[in-house]
Amino acid sequence: MLPRIAKATVKGLLYLIFLFVLPTFLISQLSQFAPELFASYGRLLNVFVVVVIFFVVASELTSGTIFQHAFNIGKAIILIIFFVVALTGGIVSLNLNLEGMQINIWADLRIYMVTLILIDLLGLAKSVLQAVNFLSEKAEKQLPTPQPTE
Amino acid sequence: MRHAIRALGWAANIFWIILLFFTVTAVYSAFQLKPEFGDPNTSTLDSTMTVSLPFSLANGGFYDVSNLNLTTLVKDSHGFPISDSSTLVRLVTHGSNVSVIHNMSISISRMAAENLSYMLFNDSSFVVDIALDLNYANAVPFRISTNSTMPWGAPLSNLTLGAISVAPFNATHFRTIVPISFENHSYFTLDGTVQLELVDNMNNLLGSGKALLSPSVPPQSSYGYSSQVFVSDPTNIRAVRLYFDTSVFSYGPVVIPVV
Repeated sequence: MLPRIAKATVKGLLYLIFLFVLPTFLISQLSQFAPELFASYGRLLNVFVVVVIFFVVASELTSGTIFQHAFNIGKAIILIIFFVVALTGGIVSLNLNLEGMQINIWADLRIYMVTLILIDLLGLAKSVLQAVNFLSEKAEKQLPTPQPTE
Repeated sequence: MRHAIRALGWAANIFWIILLFFTVTAVYSAFQLKPEFGDPNTSTLDSTMTVSLPFSLANGGFYDVSNLNLTTLVKDSHGFPISDSSTLVRLVTHGSNVSVIHNMSISISRMAAENLSYMLFNDSSFVVDIALDLNYANAVPFRISTNSTMPWGAPLSNLTLGAISVAPFNATHFRTIVPISFENHSYFTLDGTVQLELVDNMNNLLGSGKALLSPSVPPQSSYGYSSQVFVSDPTNIRAVRLYFDTSVFSYGPVVIPVV
């Protein structure tokens, strides 16, 4: 159990650095140009990081069990829902106030969103196959070993 | 099945890396797009005023910008549309600059004919809706829109009828001196004529005259002229009707009651 906790902690910290610390630094640099734009995406990044780290740590803590694969499947499904919600269905509209001027920015990110979802579906398919493989290996271990007949 | 799982894992990781690379480079490239608007120039030809707006886009990013379309919709202060224009640039490749002149044409004769005739006499401002549509990296359609105001100076601002003086002319008629004045606050020169008609309370014509906008009324200048009109009965003068016939617009009648 202790090595599992240590591994989960290390993985969680690594994900925290690469998914939170570095992007937060980038966003803080970019937000000098348009603070309203990047402030809202900062909040979304926090939610994304919490979701990913939770499932990564939970999956690591339950490694070797079926729950590991269940957490991986759950992570993939929740990330798909998160991407659809964060990108508001692929149509993003922002109102900014730059130097007293009201500017509206509209972007059609549907292709980008579909790409994100398709890649996540690959991960989902992998987790499902891993779960099926885990269950089939477990079932094979429980089968009696055939003895040679004399 | 282990091979399939491994293949799916590799595929997912490779695609995540490619997508992350595209996202980072796309965001970086978007900040390297530098649009710039120059100072607008105004010119008038026939009855159309054209506002020319220089626009340039420097694409310092990694991706091309295609179907760049700048559209403007000019409306009066009440939201009534006056003119719409668009300028299309098919492709701005990465590392290149493009400069275009976006022309907004405002038909002054149309303004005089439609519900916008009040703008001939009142200074106002246009509301200009500006939209920039583009296709970024051939994958992401973008639209940036804003609005701005453009001042409008009336060509016949402060149109005033002065005190009409009357003097006997002959046995049957009187000579009336009708002073009119206005200020040209617009961007264009006015030349042409002003037809005057003196009418009674039943709108019957009592006499008519003409004033020349001579040699012309330049922008941001005043005009004053006393026109003489011969009438038989000056006591019945109740209103003056003015008909403007200039190279830029024709409008009338403007009815000014005589006090």
